[in-house]
Amino acid sequence: MNARAVTAGFKQQAIQFFADPQWIIPSLISPFLMTMVMIFISSGGTAIEGPVVLQAVLGGGVLGMWASSLFSSSSSVSFDRINGTFEPMLGSGTRIIYVLAGRSLWSTLIGLMNAFIVFAIAELMFGTGLSLDRPFLFFLTVLMTMLSLSTVGLLISSLFVLTRKGGTIATVLEYPLYVFSGALIPISLLPGWMHPISYVLGPSWGVDAMKYAALPVHEGLMGMSIVADIAICMLLSIVMIVISYFVMLYVERKVLEYGTATRY
Amino acid sequence: MSGPLTIVASAAKMDFRSKFAVVGPLMRLAVIMLTNLFSMYFFFLLASYIGKSDVTPDYVIIGNMIQSIATSTLYSTSNISNMEKHTGTLEPLLTAPSRMFYTFFGKSIFGILNGIVSVTVSISFAAFVFGVDFSSANLSVIAVIGLLTCLSLTGMGMAVGSVGLYLRTSSIIASLFSYIGLLVCGVNFPVSYLPGWLQIFSYAMPLTYAVDATRMAVGGATLSAVSQPLMIMIVLGLVYLIISWFIFNLFEKISRKTGKIGSF
Repeated sequence: MNARAVTAGFKQQAIQFFADPQWIIPSLISPFLMTMVMIFISSGGTAIEGPVVLQAVLGGGVLGMWASSLFSSSSSVSFDRINGTFEPMLGSGTRIIYVLAGRSLWSTLIGLMNAFIVFAIAELMFGTGLSLDRPFLFFLTVLMTMLSLSTVGLLISSLFVLTRKGGTIATVLEYPLYVFSGALIPISLLPGWMHPISYVLGPSWGVDAMKYAALPVHEGLMGMSIVADIAICMLLSIVMIVISYFVMLYVERKVLEYGTATRY
Repeated sequence: MSGPLTIVASAAKMDFRSKFAVVGPLMRLAVIMLTNLFSMYFFFLLASYIGKSDVTPDYVIIGNMIQSIATSTLYSTSNISNMEKHTGTLEPLLTAPSRMFYTFFGKSIFGILNGIVSVTVSISFAAFVFGVDFSSANLSVIAVIGLLTCLSLTGMGMAVGSVGLYLRTSSIIASLFSYIGLLVCGVNFPVSYLPGWLQIFSYAMPLTYAVDATRMAVGGATLSAVSQPLMIMIVLGLVYLIISWFIFNLFEKISRKTGKIGSF
């Protein structure tokens, strides 16, 4: 573990963000609109409150975190290619996975902010009250879900090292997680053959834990308890990190073997 | 007239080359198919989950079928100025003796074709994946609506893109306008659900009339029956195009007068 490289990756991502902080807005637009759509369809044009609004806001927060994570992971490598800094980074003695991990940690922080912006706007517009059943536990589960989303982002950015089409592929990946994570729509509504896809995604379990902490009554995913949700979410996140690590080892070996830094 | 036409044709040709240089036609088609499939499925599930009698899954599928034009044509046209800034080619464009309006219009042709492909794919999904009943639909009228929507949203995209020249990161307004239809254009629920002040925006968007006309055509309406919403949509598209002409000219004048090329 190269902590200095992780810190440097984190710091560099932060500097880039503060140089142009408006980049956060595109990743807020789509999740916020989804939340609003759910609220308007449910309300039928009249004022509503209660579990539907709470679920829409919670779901919107998760979508916000995912959009931020996906956007950062796709742009982190793509921007290096555009700026011409990708080849020197690959050629440096530092394992690229640590640089990407640092960047993912920054996107975690921004993703959390993204979620809380969605919560705050919904509160201002709809007065949701966000009457959480267990607020502290809820905060912890939000943090865990975001970290889990970041590990998915880390894996994606590792895979994007292999292609110049990262930005294009990222647009495809936005909606599948909206569908499979159960953030807005319960996983039980998906056809049975899709359930395994949801179950292997750490964020699905994080979302379930969030619902446990936020709602007074909640029927867990596969009948699991909140403790089991947390354990599975963490385990799957570790698996994502391990896969990302081996993907990056493969890429680095290819680069050293063929001397082609951007084409494989 | 040959001057502007030459610029439009040349810009379109260059744009096609650069677009296909990194992402080939097959990959682009796959991206369009997957993005549309998952976004339509997401809203299909959302409508099924909420279970409102007037917002059925078929209702949202028809709406999202037309919305797909916004996410392709409107986004790509609105985002042209952002891409030029990103690749550092906006300054040469501004200093070239050609009018920027024609160059941007040429570059928007790719978006028009993208929109046509996108809506064709979405209609196929609506019929064959989501089981929307097109037995009484007037398919030729739907085709005309799709084509006119692409053209009309190009006008709007040009206006948004021209304003984007002023911004440092114009992808923000490009994202906003391409997704806002999900909320304000009757794509996922009737416009009447929205508060009065928001409905003003709905009626200023060409997409609202496109969605309305498409719903009528799926029910079997003839071209003359949908002529009113179509006429309003065309007029709106033209108005936006004319506005963009004035804005492009304004920024050209400012940049030449002040010498501040690309930053206003």
